[in-house]
Amino acid sequence: MMASTASGTMTKLEALGKNMVVQIDKGEGPTFETTLRTRSNTLFDEAIGCLRSGDKKETRKFLSVAQARTFMQTVAVAAKTKQFLRENLHTSIRGLFYQLKFTLGEDIDEDLFTEQSESNALIEDLEVALKIKREDLNLTTDRKGFVAGPMTILDRFGGEETLIDLSKQGRSGWSIPSDVDNGMEIKRCDADYVLVVEKDALWQRLNEDKFWKKENCLLVTPKGQSTRGTRRLLRKLADKKLPVYCLMDCDAWGWYIYWTIKTGSMNLAYLGRDFAVPEARFLGVTMKDIRDFEFLQKLTIKAKDVDVKRAEEMLGYPWINRHPDWVAELKEVIKTRKKIEQDALQGQRLTFVGEYINNKIKKKQWLS
Amino acid sequence: MADSDMFKNFKEHSVAEFFKKNRQMLGFSGKVRSMTMIVHEFVTNSLDACEEAAILPEIFVQVEELSKDGDHYRITIKDNGPGIPKSHLAKALGQMLAGTKFHRYIQQRGQQGIGGSACVMFSYLTTGQPTRAVSCCNGKRISANIGIDFKSNKPIIEDVGEEPTLETGLTVTAEFKDVRYERSNHGVYEYLRRTALANPHCAITLIEPNNEKVVFPRSIEQNPPKAFEIKPHPLGIGTHDLLEFAKHNKENRRISAFLQNTFSRVSAGKVDELQALLPELDFKKDPSDLTWNEAELIVKAFSKVKWIAPAMDSLVPIGKTQVETSFRNIFNPEVLVVTERSPKVYRGGIPFMVEVGIAYGGGLVSAEKRGEVMRFANRVPLLFDNGGCAITETIKSIDWKRYDVKDFEEEPLAVLVNLASVYVPYTSAGKQAISIEEDIMDEIRFAVMEASRGVQKYLSGKRKAHEIATKKKVVGRYATQLASDLATLSGKKKSEIEPKIAKIIEEKYASEPGGGEGEEGGADPSKNTDKNEDIPESEGGDE
Repeated sequence: MMASTASGTMTKLEALGKNMVVQIDKGEGPTFETTLRTRSNTLFDEAIGCLRSGDKKETRKFLSVAQARTFMQTVAVAAKTKQFLRENLHTSIRGLFYQLKFTLGEDIDEDLFTEQSESNALIEDLEVALKIKREDLNLTTDRKGFVAGPMTILDRFGGEETLIDLSKQGRSGWSIPSDVDNGMEIKRCDADYVLVVEKDALWQRLNEDKFWKKENCLLVTPKGQSTRGTRRLLRKLADKKLPVYCLMDCDAWGWYIYWTIKTGSMNLAYLGRDFAVPEARFLGVTMKDIRDFEFLQKLTIKAKDVDVKRAEEMLGYPWINRHPDWVAELKEVIKTRKKIEQDALQGQRLTFVGEYINNKIKKKQWLS
Repeated sequence: MADSDMFKNFKEHSVAEFFKKNRQMLGFSGKVRSMTMIVHEFVTNSLDACEEAAILPEIFVQVEELSKDGDHYRITIKDNGPGIPKSHLAKALGQMLAGTKFHRYIQQRGQQGIGGSACVMFSYLTTGQPTRAVSCCNGKRISANIGIDFKSNKPIIEDVGEEPTLETGLTVTAEFKDVRYERSNHGVYEYLRRTALANPHCAITLIEPNNEKVVFPRSIEQNPPKAFEIKPHPLGIGTHDLLEFAKHNKENRRISAFLQNTFSRVSAGKVDELQALLPELDFKKDPSDLTWNEAELIVKAFSKVKWIAPAMDSLVPIGKTQVETSFRNIFNPEVLVVTERSPKVYRGGIPFMVEVGIAYGGGLVSAEKRGEVMRFANRVPLLFDNGGCAITETIKSIDWKRYDVKDFEEEPLAVLVNLASVYVPYTSAGKQAISIEEDIMDEIRFAVMEASRGVQKYLSGKRKAHEIATKKKVVGRYATQLASDLATLSGKKKSEIEPKIAKIIEEKYASEPGGGEGEEGGADPSKNTDKNEDIPESEGGDE
């Protein structure tokens, strides 16, 4: 699997170069086509249930004063990553940046790259133009999320194969790598569902309670906003027909983390379904919980302007306001101007949160 | 030639006393200016005399400093003209004249005729010394010291000598105080430089007080055509003028004949056209019986008839090729556009025409000349009083940005404007500024605009070429890196790809403007459309 993906990417990179050489042989300036990545070309795919880019295309040209440098840089990144693939070595975007941070020539007072930020947009260009992920180019990103639970993973890395049992990771869990596709294989997964909790603190609490063992689930935390690796892993687990439940703060940030997992984000809409989990469910914390559990009433926080503004914005998104339960939830936030953190569930006693989750799943008390 | 009309019409006025008290009216105010004015008066007289005698002018000017404190100089001006006959020498230099040529409709430089004698007077006033004149004329070499009796406006002539000679020409030497030599914008050097510019047929040599010799060589071996007297043109005539002419009319008994004989371009056919426009007016009656109303009707009818433009031969412009030649000789500019408008009239039918030359870059850059306006009236440089001058005012009123000239004062740009006319409306007897006349200003404006458009065309072409070159450079610097990466990706050889990319860039940025794709189209279409201010062409031709 790893070999085939890498060689597929390799072929795409070579085709990119060959197409340009054909153009040059014909006496034309080299170009390549990419998808327009603007808000106006971002749409919600009803059939799949995620955000994705529309059909508007954009042609990048070398023969343009405005584009020549970026064009040259894009091709340089393509050429450099082809080398990474051939050598089977990985590096971060920052590492790539340093690989390419050299002068264009003795008589040219200009570097190929001067800042790392220059490379981000053109890596996205390559992802879209070649229909690949940056991970396919052996570019790594920082890891953040953790998992524990009944799952075994085969990791082919650095010329070795390691079998990793995620139920034997002790207090720290397994750190989700930036690429869960290339050289990574789920060997065995006996879990009944996936639980995603926003904060590492709550994850550690539940891990201590052996929650995942009792519930036979995979306990995941993205530690805030999900990395590409975490989102990709959740997608793969959902593909294994595992229900994905999310427990977030009841505030702007919590909602955003949830909806990014579910539908993807506006900024990375071009990633589409591979990075979205439309099946994901929002367990809590909800405004209704505040009514249902008396002790929570004393633990609410005053909603900030940003929370109310975010709630109002969300009511405007068609993929959110078609869920009546979400509309009611958000309207209540705007009305009461209250919010509540997931940590509040430990307010009564530390083990309450496990019961809460268990109960909610059993009673199917979630928002879509 | 000697006793020609030139010296016939002297009219004596006792104006010396008046000018003694009001010498600034002649332009003798300020030390530098006074010196320039002295040189100017003699040089213009020399040029006029040479041209009238059909001699290619060769003028020698020497300025010597007599005292170390400055302010005391000897000025010598020598020409190769016809000289002045003994009978007229004293009058020509020693008597203030209201004009030798003022009453004739003919273009000459020394229009008001007060020049030479004013200098003699100035010398006499400041040093008490007479002016030494040596005139070689008709085979005789006459030398004399000439002064002025201010009270009677009579010349004082002494030490007259006479001997035979084969040469011709006039040499005048005089001492002056209250003057100063400077190589400034208002000085003798600049004056002679501009004189040479506007008079490419003359050769000028200047010896400066420090003995430095400056030669402005002749660039055209031909004198300008001679001007002829012409009658006023009907389009320039007002009701009052018409009545004035009618009152002084003696030869013509009928209005029809009066019109034909008094004004230019009025033929029997044109009188018929006027008659058709004014059926109630009797064109057979005596012009002296013309009433104000009738005169007004005729003047109105004048404007409805299509006239041939005033005759060119009353005007002596520098000439397009002449301006070009001398501009190139003196400045060697990068670009030069010369416009010559056809003749027009102002006020009482006085013909005039405007020539404009605009030079940009080249020698102007190295000469550190920026936004230089060179004013001329009948090829005489106007160095002073530029504030109230029609030429300065007109140039100031032009929106130079429209012609891609960002800041007129900062650009290596020289604008020459010459007003040729039989009668130049100077603002004062100093003859250094042209008064604000709408008709003249319009013509100057149109001529400058026309020439500016030519310069702009050049500048925008140059800028476009520069932009294309810049684009080529911007894109071109990435060619090597691109070729190397494409070689890595495609497996082809870099050495094969790179020259092809270079060729593509070369072709792309050679074919622009117009061939540009997408966002970098070459020409800015908004640039050329809003520039078409109306420049009326003069009707008729010059025949």
